[in-house]
Formats: sequence, structure tokens, C-alpha cells
Amino acid sequence: MNLFQQLQHDSLLHQTRRHFLRDCTTGLGALWLASMTGRAWGAEGVLKKDAARPLLPGAPQFPGKAKRVIYLHMAGSPSQLELFDYKPELAKMDGKDCPESFLKGKQFAFIQGVPKMLGAQFPFKQHGNSGQWISDRMPHFATVADDVCFIKSMYTDQFNHGPAQLLMHTGSQNPGWASTGAWATYGLGSENQNLPGFMVLTSGGKNPDAGKSVWGSGFLPSVYQGVQCRSQGDPVLFLSNPPGITRGLRRRTLDALNEINQKSAKQSGDPETLTRIAQYELAFRMQVDASDAFDIKQEPAGIHELYGTQPGKESFANNCLLARRLAERGVRYIQLFDWGWDSHGAGESEALSHGFKDKCKSVDRPLMALITDLKQRGLFEDTLIVWSGEFGRTSMRENRNGVEMKFVGRDHNPGAFTLWMAGGGVKGGFSYGETDDFGYQSVIDKVSVHDFHATMLHLMGFDHMKFTYPVSGVNMRLTNVTKPGSEVVKAVLA
Amino acid sequence: MLVASSFIAATTPAWSASASNSVEFNRDIRTLFAKHCTACHGGVKAAGKISFLYRDKALAEGKSGERAIIPGDPEKSEVIRRVLSKDPDEIMPKPDHGPRLTDKEIATLQQWIKEGAKWSEHWSFVPPEEPAKPNLKNKSWAKTSADQFILARIEAEGLKPSPEATPAEWLRRVSLDVIGLPPTPEEYDSFLQDRRKNAATAKERVVDRLLASPQFGERWASVWLDLARYSDTFGYEKDPHRDIWPWRDWVIRAFNADLPFDEFTIKQLAGDLLPNPTAADLLATAFHRNTQNNTEGGTDDEEYRTVAVLDRVNTTWTAWNATTFGCVQCHSHPYDPFPHRDYYRFAAFFDNTEDCDQNDDYPRWIFPEDMSKRDEAARLQRESRRLREELNDEALVVTTKIKDWKPLVPKEAKASGGVLSIAANGRIDASGTLPISVKYTLTVPVVAGMTAIKIDILPESDNAKSAPERGQMFSKLSAALVVAGASNQPVKLKEVIADHLVGPRDPRNVIEGGGGLGSFPTMSGPRWGVVVLEKPLEAPVGATVELVFEHGIAANSGVQGCPLKHFALSFTTDASLSEFANSHARAEAWGEWRAVGFGLKKISGPSVPVMVERSRPATRETRVFIRGNRLTRDELVLPGIPDVVQPPKKSDPMNRLDMARWLVGNQNPLAARVLANRLWAEMFGHGIVETQEDFGTSGAKPTHPELLDHLALRLRGELKWSVKKFLRELALSATYAQSAKATPKLLEKDVANHIYARGPRSRLTAEMVRDQALAVSGLLSTKQFGPPVYPPQPDGVWSTVYSGEKWNTSTNENRFRRGVYTYSRRTAGYPQFLTFDAPTRDSCTARRLPSNTPLQALTVMNDPAFIEMAQALAERMEKGGRSPRERIEHGSRLLTLDKPPRAMLDSLTKLYDGALADYRADQEISAKLGATPEQAALVLVANTLLNLDSSLTR
Repeated sequence: MNLFQQLQHDSLLHQTRRHFLRDCTTGLGALWLASMTGRAWGAEGVLKKDAARPLLPGAPQFPGKAKRVIYLHMAGSPSQLELFDYKPELAKMDGKDCPESFLKGKQFAFIQGVPKMLGAQFPFKQHGNSGQWISDRMPHFATVADDVCFIKSMYTDQFNHGPAQLLMHTGSQNPGWASTGAWATYGLGSENQNLPGFMVLTSGGKNPDAGKSVWGSGFLPSVYQGVQCRSQGDPVLFLSNPPGITRGLRRRTLDALNEINQKSAKQSGDPETLTRIAQYELAFRMQVDASDAFDIKQEPAGIHELYGTQPGKESFANNCLLARRLAERGVRYIQLFDWGWDSHGAGESEALSHGFKDKCKSVDRPLMALITDLKQRGLFEDTLIVWSGEFGRTSMRENRNGVEMKFVGRDHNPGAFTLWMAGGGVKGGFSYGETDDFGYQSVIDKVSVHDFHATMLHLMGFDHMKFTYPVSGVNMRLTNVTKPGSEVVKAVLA
Repeated sequence: MLVASSFIAATTPAWSASASNSVEFNRDIRTLFAKHCTACHGGVKAAGKISFLYRDKALAEGKSGERAIIPGDPEKSEVIRRVLSKDPDEIMPKPDHGPRLTDKEIATLQQWIKEGAKWSEHWSFVPPEEPAKPNLKNKSWAKTSADQFILARIEAEGLKPSPEATPAEWLRRVSLDVIGLPPTPEEYDSFLQDRRKNAATAKERVVDRLLASPQFGERWASVWLDLARYSDTFGYEKDPHRDIWPWRDWVIRAFNADLPFDEFTIKQLAGDLLPNPTAADLLATAFHRNTQNNTEGGTDDEEYRTVAVLDRVNTTWTAWNATTFGCVQCHSHPYDPFPHRDYYRFAAFFDNTEDCDQNDDYPRWIFPEDMSKRDEAARLQRESRRLREELNDEALVVTTKIKDWKPLVPKEAKASGGVLSIAANGRIDASGTLPISVKYTLTVPVVAGMTAIKIDILPESDNAKSAPERGQMFSKLSAALVVAGASNQPVKLKEVIADHLVGPRDPRNVIEGGGGLGSFPTMSGPRWGVVVLEKPLEAPVGATVELVFEHGIAANSGVQGCPLKHFALSFTTDASLSEFANSHARAEAWGEWRAVGFGLKKISGPSVPVMVERSRPATRETRVFIRGNRLTRDELVLPGIPDVVQPPKKSDPMNRLDMARWLVGNQNPLAARVLANRLWAEMFGHGIVETQEDFGTSGAKPTHPELLDHLALRLRGELKWSVKKFLRELALSATYAQSAKATPKLLEKDVANHIYARGPRSRLTAEMVRDQALAVSGLLSTKQFGPPVYPPQPDGVWSTVYSGEKWNTSTNENRFRRGVYTYSRRTAGYPQFLTFDAPTRDSCTARRLPSNTPLQALTVMNDPAFIEMAQALAERMEKGGRSPRERIEHGSRLLTLDKPPRAMLDSLTKLYDGALADYRADQEISAKLGATPEQAALVLVANTLLNLDSSLTR
């Protein structure tokens, strides 16, 4: 054992220094206490973590089929009625006044008074052996229809983007709760200690409406928050050495740092110093590994053709390819946000006939490519892919300010939306749940956001009721203690 | 297993050291109940009608008819039978709920019942009592009263205090703790000189210098800003800019002036309700306008107003009382004695302010940057509001005397969109799609001598429990006489009287347009207003009157129109209103108000959101929300304070001012303990109660309960809430003066330093990491106050939807200001701060949990802001010596004061030499970091110095 190893060993012995939540009198806390084994499940679903190595990989509560997640969020919320929820009856109502019964007790973001009904703007066809209904906006994606499991009966209780996105990713519409990715990395750690366990990629030119809280750690320790990766400059903030400091010189500085810090660790006896030495070394390794992971130029031409990627540009296609590269490297949770799906019709970029069409085109091929590519690499079976918005869109045409708008669009609809999953543990070529004849409200086999979260956790090997974290005496969970009754959607499990 | 057991020994509260053999409810029983029982038999659920939160409920008969606890008789007590039971259907806790009680726990429970089942409140709800002075073996170590309690515990654990820290260690610690900045080598030298004369007074002089430093307030403001969830933006989707920095400056000034914490509290929570408030008092109330405001199109104003009100409740309880009161929003507290209803009684204190999630953050007041103009500006703004209320009130006196209002039934009612229908009784109802700017044209009969028209606006629902509905308000009313064959003649309107004034729009302006009569953004009951004609109507035969109502007012961030939906008109021919409106006295009164308005127009400066109470007739009804849902409303409540924390006895309804006074009064058992604990934690790395945010049953217990009570009483009593005097005692204590060196023995016994047998050692806060680097590099600007600044930040961090706001990096001295002035944006915080555990400021944060991550290493190594500081540090180093070794020594003295150990100098010199060789070999590379290879190598050393563990800790 050299000095450094000795110090690390000492550090582990003294890791109790950093217990964040001390042994609460209720006995609910204690999860940051040392355990000689590194990590273990305690009573009441509380995970005991090794505070010095909080991202150490570990087993879930029961064997889960999904080892990692790639979550594709179409921020702004695409219209289910123009993509996957085929409603011929709605077409017959096109242009007619919305029935009173659809409006009573409903709150809308923009619709006023009595709007007109709006039929699907694009034709639908059945695809694959499973005969899934998909509109003509997704020709490439339609070729993998048999790999995909639709839930067409999703609903939420939020009808504004920010709160709805927060609910979709943290289980609460208010900021301050832990995101799904934070839960996953907290529960499972990361397979690659040289990369963050939870990484976020954005496209469409903007961050999500709800800001960085959608990948925040909320009440979980901050080490579990998502790390936002960037398409311009460093993929991770401050990853590269500044101009004038080569890797060799950085090594020299670290050598000097280590020598001095090891002496001050001996001098002060502070175990935290040993952790810091380890973190600097990890940072040094991350500089290479993360840069490498983000260098999509390494990919062969055939892959670029499959995804439609162009290195150096910010695009959903590039992010899908990056997602695969990160998945390969053991990143636990990869969260994509693609901004620009808010098709109100208030302008050309928001029109179903223009902006929406362009958005569909920009995701159609990469979606197909991601599934195809994961399959050809043997990663599909244990990677859960989720595609969703934060709510659905109305069966009525939006009439902002109470007048007919120049472009055609739809308002926000919390009552019904479609999401799909693929890979890790879900049925392919399957469709679950139904909306009413007009695609307005989910009616058969309704699935709440919390049911969906329970299902995701189940796929990763967690019982959502028992996977908890104590906060002020309450055992918090992703499926929101204030909203009981969530259930795993068993029908979609493979 | 050695480590685990020693850990337990180290963290067992002091109580066990002084434990006697009899059972103590709080120590032994409450914790047992909380661990095993209250999840089902508590505040949320009281299964079998048994709750172990309250003695009466625990002793009463349960649903089974059995009594869980019979004092003095454990054998007959059902709870004992159940915990002993072997029958899986009988045993408690139920097998799938939790493990069986241990034999020891059962024995304790039996003994407690046998001893009479004595109950006491949770420790933090019991008023603090001055403890007896401890008996000490070492009579000479303690310097302050706090030291005595610390030493008693150290001695009880069989330990000895650590030796005194070196002067350098102590000076660096105290400087960073008290002003957030490291000491300069010059300050160190003069401290050493002083010390030679008198070691004790030398320390006093340092502490007094630090407490008097203008930088003191900047350090302590950072602590308060976390609690206040201060940010320079609104939050939520667009997260636009908010001018609230004058409040941040108020906080800095308040700490610098050592404003006693009771006044500090009262001004922030209720400065607007003080008699004759100063501008500073009004500005202080911006504390609770740091709530988020949702400007996303279509977000319900009332929903987010309610979120803000409840956030004020939760923040008040967390910041002042360290109580998880937020739990009570949905149900009675699961562990602590707070009934559900009490949450809404407390919410009623905050439910009656004018703010209602408007995109302009209404109401805001102007606070000129020139401080000398602030009081006059505040006086004019208050005067304007008072005179306007008075004008309306005087008119109401005349108006309400008129009894002969007769229905004015329109002959015809047309809308530019949607449909208007007229009922037989004259009521007008609008339906269909009403454009936001809908225009109603009503044709009404001419009534000769008509002097005024009354407009009654009626809500959809008459159920008092229903949630406030969408508002109804028109912005302009015009009237004209219509005579066949002639052009319309305008009927001049003189003035508008409203049932009461509330909200951002003035009813009088509906004559000119751009005003508002009705209710906005929501409506909770009928409203009315009266429009007075300039002169009694003259009525040509066959004429009609055309009334045109214009709208254009929209709620929910400007997208949901609020046109009149149900209304009725009536008229009077009574001359009194007309005479009143046309009187000389009335004209003078309006003139006086206008004159104040002219004065107001000359005021300029930041417009800050503040608390403004709604007038008495506009008082909102606060109701209990069933399961915390604002749409399911239950009984009406009046403002009130929970019984367990000893509310003042007062027969009149209490207001925010009463509440604020109670909070820092002698009755509240919590606030003084919470503040003493917070200040202690900032100095010692953790609190006496480690969970600074939770003093309740679910929080940590105090490690030194007697000390906490002593400190709380001293802070509130003798020190009269003086933060500076309190900190002075901590800084000059023997406990604080110890070396932080953790010996193997201390690590084994007390790894987390809860016994305080050594000095504190903590990582720098996010702001300190920045401020120290600025200070040692000589770049730091000590400019104080003013709008937030934009130090270097990578491109693209600010890319928020629908927001054109740009991060324009400061180029002047603002680039190098202290962290407290850095722009704080909720949805996109300053990356270095977030990486070093600063909160997003979305909600009240009582404690930052320190992490230690590779991203922190990357930041201090590579962030261009830190490279710039390393370059400046290298320049200073260059001037500080002739040889590289001298320069390196100078640099490390800037960070650690003492001459660095030889080994450290060797390591850094080796780094320098190696780097120099590399840079000489490739000058293209070196030029990117410094002008010469020598300078570049020195920058690399400076960069390393900033990253040293000893630099990043204090």
C-alpha cells in the first residue's frame, strides 16, 4: 500500500465525517452514515451510501430489466392528434363549435369562450406487424413501430409548461423535488466513475421551460443532480484545460497538489482532504473520458448517415448519437430536451403546418436511428428509452385572445397525451390505454404521471413505495407522498 | 465495527451524559413513538383513534374500547399487550409496518407508564431556561460562558481541549468566518505585533476590526439571502429580471449597523404596518416579495398567488422557527403538535396583501438610488395612496346615502364578439367566445335628470366556499345621446366611485380609458361602482343613451380576458352626488391628490416589490384548504398562532405586525434558539442542532441542550438581539481558538467534532471561494451595493425560453465584486456557486450541505474567471520576490499567512521548474497564459495555490 492508498483507506474509515442527515430521532435518517460494505439497503427502503464514493454502482431492490435510461423529452409538448392518437371521429367534427360539455370546469392556457374543433392535420396509417397507428410525419420512426410501446392514455394535472415539466420529471409541479434521473443515480450509482452518472443534453436552442430544476437533485444530495452538457465549447463546464495549460502541465499541477494536500491531510487529520485528493484525480480522468465520449467525429460515415448527424452542430440528431455513446460508457441516466414543440399556431414556428412539421422532420430519423443502433450493439434490451412531452394538446383549435388566428394550432391539454417507451423491459409493438373519440380525455386504462414513474422505477428494479429518502421526517418518494395511489402499469411490462 | 460503535458514542447527545435512571419522555418515549408508532397513530393518520402526539389522545379509549395507556398500570395498558404480543394479527407495529420493539424499548415503555406516563412537550417547544453553571475540573481554560458548557462535555467524555491554534490559523479562520475574506499579510503582521504586547487584547482588536468592517454585512447577508430565497429574477419559465437588489443592500446595511434581530425581523415581516414607517421599513418588507412570480402565458394568477402566500408561511417558520410547518398544509403535522387548521390561521397573516402574481410584480415602490431622497419618495407614495383612498371614501359616504336606485334596463345590448342577453330584470349576461378586447354597446332609455349610473357586477357563483373565480373588469366607459337623424352627442362623465379600491387599476381612469372598474384578476363576491354624470341628463324626446364598455384587461399573464360577464345597471336622479362631485371642495381634494402625483413623477429609481396590505373592505377570506388543495375550501379562519408556541393573548384579530412581534418576543420558544444555533453553525461548521432547518421531532437533537438554551437567552436577553455582540463572544471563545488538528484519538472518539474538543475546519462557502481568490489576487473591488453584476460566465448558461435577457459580462470593476453581488438567476444560477453548493434560491434554504466533487476541482482549475485571478495573483507574486522561490513563498503567504513549510515550497518550486522547461520549449503555449515562460509558469503555480486544500478550507 503506497501513501496515497493508505490515505484513501483512512478516508474510508472516517467517511462518517460527511453524514448529511444525522441520525434523526425518528430513525428515518441515517442514510449517509458509514457502512463498511460501501452501500446497503436499510430498513424502510432507505439506501445507506458510502459518502466518499456516492456514485458507486450498486444493485437495485430487485433485479430490474433497465440498467440505464435515455429519456427524450419533446419540450413544449407535441400534438398526440397529429402523431400517434388516430381519431377519425374528430375529423368529422372539424370546424364545428366545441360542445359545452368539453368546456365546463376546464381551465385553458389560451383558449377563450367556445373554440372550434380541429381534426388531425395529417393522414395516419398502420405500421409493422403490430399495426400501430402513426401519422405520415414520422416515416422513419414508423419502421421501428414493432419495437415501441405506446401509452395513449397519459394524463397530468398541470396545463402550463413549467409546472407540467417539473411534474413529469420530479413528481411535483413545484421546484425543489428530486428528478427521476437523480433518483436513478442515487439508487443505482454510475457504471463509469470517470463520467457524471446523470447527463443532460439539450437541443432546439433553449433550456426547458422549468429551468434546471427538471434535472435537479431537489432534496437528494447535490451530487445526484444532472450535469448539463453543452454542444458548443466544453461538453461539461470547465472540462478542458484553459489555453496555455497542456495535459502534461495539468498533471504536473496535480502532482504538486497531491504532494501538498497529502501533507496537509496528515497535518490536519481532516478526512475531507483525502476525499478532495480523490476528487481532483477523478476530475483529471474525466477530462479525457468526457471529451472522448463527446467526440462524435470518431463515428463512421454509416452511423452519421443513419442518424443524420453533423458534428459540431447543436441538434437532436447529434444528441441521440451522444446518448448512445454515453449509454455505452455506463452513464446511468441520459436526459434529452428538445425545445420547440409548443404548436399553438400563434406564429409560423408554432404552426402545425410549418414549425411542427419541421420539428417532426428533425426527430423522425434520429429516433429510428437510436433504436436501431442500440439494437445492433446489444444495448436495447437493458436500456429504457422514453419519449414524451409534458402534456397533450387540445382537440380544439386555439383561438388566442378570443379571435381566429392566422395559423392553425392547438392549446395545452392536460387531459390526454401519448408517450412511448422502448427497450429495457417493455413490450414492443404494443399500445396501452385509450382516449375518447376525440382524443380529448384519457378514458380507458388511464395512466397518471405518477403511475408512469412507478412503472419506470419498477423497470429499474425499485418498488416506488419503498424507494424513499427522508426529508424533515417524511419519507419522500418519486411518486409523491401527497398523491397516494400510484400503480405500476403491469400491462406494458415485457 | 470499531468505527461504527465509536461513531455512535460520538454523536449521542449530551443528554445521555447527564442521564438519570428514570425515564424522560422527550429523550426516551417521544423518540420511540416517532420511530415505531406515529406513522399510523400520529397527526396524518390516527388509526384506531389513537394518536401518540397528544397526551389526551394517547390516554383516551381507542376504537377497540381499550385504553392504550393507563398511567401507573403497564399490565393493563393495551399498548404493552400489543407490543409484547406474539399473534401476527395483534402485534404492534404490524409485521409489515416495521420491526418489533426491542426488549429494552419495551422495558422503557413499561417503566414510563409505571412512573405515571408523564408527558412533556418536545424540547424545542418548551421555553428555554437558564441552565446551572457546570462544575469544571479545569478552572482556567474557559474564556466565555459558552466555553464552560463545552468544556463540561469535553471533560465528561474524558477528553481535553486541543492546544490553541497558531496565530495564522486563528486569524484566517476568524477573518473568513466574520467577514468572508482572508486576512492580508499586513493584517497578520500587525496582529503578531499586537500579540507580543498583549495576546488577549490582540484578538479582541482583530475581532472588533472585523465586526466594524463594511465587509461584515456582505458576508452575513449571504446567509440571510439563502433563507429569504433572494434572487434577481421572478423564477418559473421566463424568469425575468426583478429589481429587488435595494432590499439586498438593506440587509447588508442592517448587518453592518447591527440592527437588533428583533427589529430586523419586525421590519421585514411587517415594516409597512409600523406607525409612520420610514422608506427603509417599507423596503425591508421586500423580504417576502422574494417569492416567485409565474409569468408563463396562461398560468393562473390566483394559483401562483396562493403558492407565494403559502411559501411565505413556510419560509417564516423555517427561517425563524426551524419548524417543518409546510407539512401542515395538507394535514395535521405527522410528528409535531400542529393541527391542520393552524396552518391556514397562520396563512391568514399573509393572505391579505395586494400582490397577485402580476407580470409587473405589482405592487412596487420606487426607492431612489440616492438614499437621501428615499424618505421623501416614500412619503409621497404613501400620501398619494392615502389621499386616493380618502377621495373614494368621502364619495362613498354620499353615495351610500342614496336609496332610490332604479333599474336601467337596456333596450338592446350588442357585443363585438360573443353574445349578450338581457334578462327581464335587466341583468345582462355574456356568453360565447368573448375576445379580450370585446366591446359592449348598450342602448338604454333616456331618463330626464339622471345624475349617476350604478354598475353591479355579479359573480358566477354565490357559494362563499368556492374558489375565487375569473375577474370581471372594464377599462373604459363612454356615454352618448343618440337622437335620430343627428350625430351622437357625448355625455360627459365626471367621476367614478368604487365600492372599494384594490389592485393595480384605478376606477377613475375608466372615463379616459386605461382604468378598471370591477374585480381583477379574480372575483370573490359582487362588486359595484357608480359613474357620476357631469350634469343631470337633459332628455330630448325619442332619444336614447348609448353606453360603450371597453375591455382589454386579461389575467393569467395577459392571456385570459376578464370582461364583464354578469352585470346590471341602475340609475338615480338624486342630485346630491352630482353636487358633491361638482363642488369646489371636491375639486380641491382632487387637486391635492394630483399635486402629490406631480411630485411622484419626479421620483426615479429602482421600483421594488414590497408588501402592501389590502384595505379593510377588501380583506380576503382565508379558508382551510382540504388536503392542501386551494380548490377545495372549508371553514373560514382568522389570523392566529398555534397554541403550542404560546401566542399572545389578544382579543382583536391579529395582523402581521402582531405576528412579527410574537416571533421575536419572549413567549416564542424557538426563534432565539434558532438564531443562536445558526450563528454558531456559521462559526463552528455545524449547529448545536445539526438540522438547522428542523427543530421538530424529526430533526436532530441538540448536542448541547444547556448551551443552546444559555446562548438563546443570552442573545435575546443581555445582548438584546445584537448579532455582532453574540458573534464577538463566539469568536473570542476558547472553543473557537483551538487548533483544528484532528488527532487519531479525536477522530476515533468524535469524527464529526460534535464535542468541540478541537477547532472547526470547514470548506469555504461558494461565495468565499470566489471572494478569497479575488482578494489574494488583488483584483477584489470593495465597491458596495447597487444592481447585480456579471462576472465572467461561460456562454449559453443563460438560454431561457422566451427571454431576451443577456449576460453582458462586466468589464469594469464590477467584474471583480464580491460574490454576494453576482446576478442571481433562479433558473440558471452562477455555475461556480451552484457547483459549490449554493442553492438555486427557489425556496428558503436553512443549510447548505457541503459536497466535494470533481466538478469543483474542474471549476477552480479551469474556469476562465479563476484563470484571470491566477494571472493577477502571479503578477503580485512576481512583485513580491526576486527568485522564483521567493515569489512562490510570497504567493503562498498571501493564502496561508505563515512562511510555507519547506516541503510545500519544494513541491511548488519543482512544479515551477518543470513548467518553465515545458514553456520554454513551447513558447506558443506559454504565451497563452503569460507574457513570458517565467510568467506562465508562475500563473500555473498561482492556479495550483488557489486549488490547495488549505486554500479551500477555513
